Amino acid sequence: MQTTTTQPIIIVPLWRVRLRLAWKSFKANWKLFVHNPIGVIGLVIILIFALMAISHPILMKYVWEPRVYDPVIGYDTEIFVHPSPPSARHLLGTDPLGRDILSQLLYGTRFSFILGISSALISVVIATTIGAVSAYYGGVVDMIFMRLADVITMLPFIAILVVLSALWEFTGFTLALVYGLLVGFGGQTIVIKSQALSIKVKPYIESARASGGGDWHIILTHMLPNLLPISFLFMMFTVTNAVFAEAALSFFGLLNIRMSWGIMINTAQAAGYLLAGSEYLYLLLPAGMAITLLCSAFYMVGRAMDEIVNPRLRER
Amino acid sequence: MTDLMLQVKDLTMHYKTSKGEVSAVNNVSFVVEKGQSLGLVGESGCGKTSIAFSLLRLLPDNAEIKGGDIILDGANITDMDKKQLLKVRWKGISMVFQAAMNALNPIFTVGEQIVEAIQVHNPEINVAEAKNNVTDLFTLVGLDPKLMDRYPHEFSGGMRQRAVIAMALACHPKLIIADEPTTALDVIVQDRILSQLKEIQDRLDMSMIYISHDIAVIAEVSDRIGVMYAGRMAELAKANEIFKRPIHPYTYALMSAFPSIKGPKKSLTTLPGEPPDLLNPPSGCRFHPRCPRATVQCRQETPPFIEHSPGHFAACWHPMEVENE
Amino acid sequence: MSEITSLVKVEHLVKKFPVSAGLFKTSKSFIHAVDDISFEIDSGSSLGLVGESGCGKTTTGKLLTRLYDPTSGLIEINDPRAGRVDLASLKGQALKDFRGRVQIIFQDPYESLNPRRTIFDTVSEPLVVQGLGNITQREEQVATLLETVGLTPASSFLFRYPHELSGGQRQRVAIARALVVNPSFVVADEPTSMLDVSIRIGVMQLMMELANEMDVSYLYITHDLAVARYMCQRIAVMYIGKIIEKAATEELLSHPLHPYTRALISAVPVPDPEFQRQAIPIKGGVSAPIDPPDQCRFYSRCPLADSFCRNNPHPPLEDKGGGHFVACYKV
Repeated sequence: MQTTTTQPIIIVPLWRVRLRLAWKSFKANWKLFVHNPIGVIGLVIILIFALMAISHPILMKYVWEPRVYDPVIGYDTEIFVHPSPPSARHLLGTDPLGRDILSQLLYGTRFSFILGISSALISVVIATTIGAVSAYYGGVVDMIFMRLADVITMLPFIAILVVLSALWEFTGFTLALVYGLLVGFGGQTIVIKSQALSIKVKPYIESARASGGGDWHIILTHMLPNLLPISFLFMMFTVTNAVFAEAALSFFGLLNIRMSWGIMINTAQAAGYLLAGSEYLYLLLPAGMAITLLCSAFYMVGRAMDEIVNPRLRER
Repeated sequence: MTDLMLQVKDLTMHYKTSKGEVSAVNNVSFVVEKGQSLGLVGESGCGKTSIAFSLLRLLPDNAEIKGGDIILDGANITDMDKKQLLKVRWKGISMVFQAAMNALNPIFTVGEQIVEAIQVHNPEINVAEAKNNVTDLFTLVGLDPKLMDRYPHEFSGGMRQRAVIAMALACHPKLIIADEPTTALDVIVQDRILSQLKEIQDRLDMSMIYISHDIAVIAEVSDRIGVMYAGRMAELAKANEIFKRPIHPYTYALMSAFPSIKGPKKSLTTLPGEPPDLLNPPSGCRFHPRCPRATVQCRQETPPFIEHSPGHFAACWHPMEVENE
Repeated sequence: MSEITSLVKVEHLVKKFPVSAGLFKTSKSFIHAVDDISFEIDSGSSLGLVGESGCGKTTTGKLLTRLYDPTSGLIEINDPRAGRVDLASLKGQALKDFRGRVQIIFQDPYESLNPRRTIFDTVSEPLVVQGLGNITQREEQVATLLETVGLTPASSFLFRYPHELSGGQRQRVAIARALVVNPSFVVADEPTSMLDVSIRIGVMQLMMELANEMDVSYLYITHDLAVARYMCQRIAVMYIGKIIEKAATEELLSHPLHPYTRALISAVPVPDPEFQRQAIPIKGGVSAPIDPPDQCRFYSRCPLADSFCRNNPHPPLEDKGGGHFVACYKV
């Protein structure tokens, strides 16, 4: 059998090959993703919200008068009674403090995205790292993190957040951080660790060790890439929960945030319009629906991704 | 001709997948006489397990029998509906599944599972009577009847396999299909299970279809052997004929690819290529891409499954004439 | 004939696993997975390690690649480049350097390749980890090796993913990965048992050719005596952590001495319908080697066992002539 080839093997720069491969696999996953109408609907909704978020600074700069339409400090002096129902000037009406609701909604969209995605990123980075390390090293390290996760999972989430917010002033940033930390060290880590465990016992890990691969080489080169799909999946669900948690906390008035969807509902409630009858629904509907839709959208995308990540769920 | 327990004529079965239709079983015909055992041998994807499931009509939703007849002890069961099939399954034909470890439900005792099998197909039998049957069955397969109340995880691999055989025998079927029953077992345990199966078969005068990829096991267990390739039957004959006078080049290649611990150490010949993808099977004879004797005709026309000598069938345009070794 | 040196010499190798007693309690029970075994593998030749599941053959393979650390014993590798080294005692950087000398091929072609890495990444990993060559050199070496193992043209396989390859092809990749650092010794743990029959021979022949061309010896672990016969010059039979017989292949198969070996050989089905195989019956099943009593491991099942066997420790391996070793009082 020949051991040498006669023609030189021309190999294009490696990064270009990897790029091409990544694109190919993205296209393949995309095809699978669009198979599922739920995922597509969710994605469309997210895109619409993204457009909304982008539109706010543009509108503020070019279309709207800041004095009137600023979501926090605007005030429309031309209308006598605030809150006012939807009109030509204010497509969704104004809130009890005279601010344009549509502007609030769009501003809140941007806020929710940032909050949701940063919480998700923080939690996923923590959960993946800890899950991989726990699974790989086992022993005391594993025990500590798993018991910590048990404790966090045991305690009611909103209650913890409420207590913590009483101790520290919670801005949006703090909330994202705290939420990400709690979720990251909590239930997510357990699931990711179990996935990491199933990877750890695979023969290709032993091959890597037999070749001389050190612990970090194995964790970084082998475990993490195989954990990323499930981490990404969790990100979707974390966004959902983070947005909802913020809404709940803002509703209770526990957050020091200038404007968000939760604050919108809180404002309505503080002024006594929460159960004031159907003529004031315009105060609650926009924020309420936005929260519901965005949370559902991320959840739907997560579910659709689940079928890609977890091949057993796929239809034959 | 002696009595036929099973007659399969031109059985064809497809799986529908998201990528297209997989032609899993294609025009397969064979018979099994009463009290006889037929060995089905072939590699992964050849269709032998699919045939077994088709016979029992235990097919998944995306599988469809496209044609052919299955006649069990004189009755055509191909088009039977669910209710009629319930009477046939387990009493007419039963099956010992591959990976017996997974065929047993871990949360019930072994005895309970066999009792359930008995009662599902014989509602008139009560629990006490069923348990008696289980005792008899355990003795038959070489298990201590006291183990009836233990859970599957308390059984060793070989014992679980015996339990699954006992379950398959629960309703005294006329024909039993054993699908790779000894694959995961050690060689000494395998030997015991095989001799036990043979003894049971003799005692109950039962017909058997034995499915395996292991030629050596098939040689020992079968009266007749059917060689499957890519969903089609390549050759069917008495066991001796298959080994000593194979007609189909695939059969011949298979015989040459098996190392043995007896006899002189012969050199083994490789078969180039891989078993084909049944989504797009090769045209004509499905073995032609790997066959050293293939011609244009083999690529264009499917060879018919015909009798080359009494009781010896093969599907090949250029059959081999091999001298008795 | 040139001097046949022993490439691998294993002496009194022991591996005990504690039966888990909890996080803070020390175990009192141990599984004697590998219980004082010794064997040699000559350069240019392969040893088959045969036995049923649970006998310790896979553990032995992993000990030889230091995937497990031995409880005690010597694993001496006489490598042409590095000289004589006791693999069992290496630590740290020395161990890492030596990893390139002994490699392993696994049984399951579907699990032994990382599904998210390309074939190139997988085969070049040993080179990367050992810091050998720059990127271009690695690409060339991997490509050459892929062609050597029969995956041609290499350029079409380099950047594919495992799921695009068949079982036989994947196993060839695993072989390429094992050979890319030019080891002197490879442990093959049932590399063909999960492959189709018609593919198996091709892979086995490839391994034999590579053994000659690249001067590699194998420890071929298998439960299939027929395969061991085909691949190996010598065979060692293991039973509950002990080697109970070892001899040249043909000698072992034609004149087995130990009752277990004889029972094992008699139980192997023969692909000949006319052959009347007489299986030697032995009672009982294999027990787990937890704290085994100091007695012949085969005592409870042996048809030849008597009070002498019961009252004495496990028999030592003795040469009965011509390099045919048996551990039995009754032979």
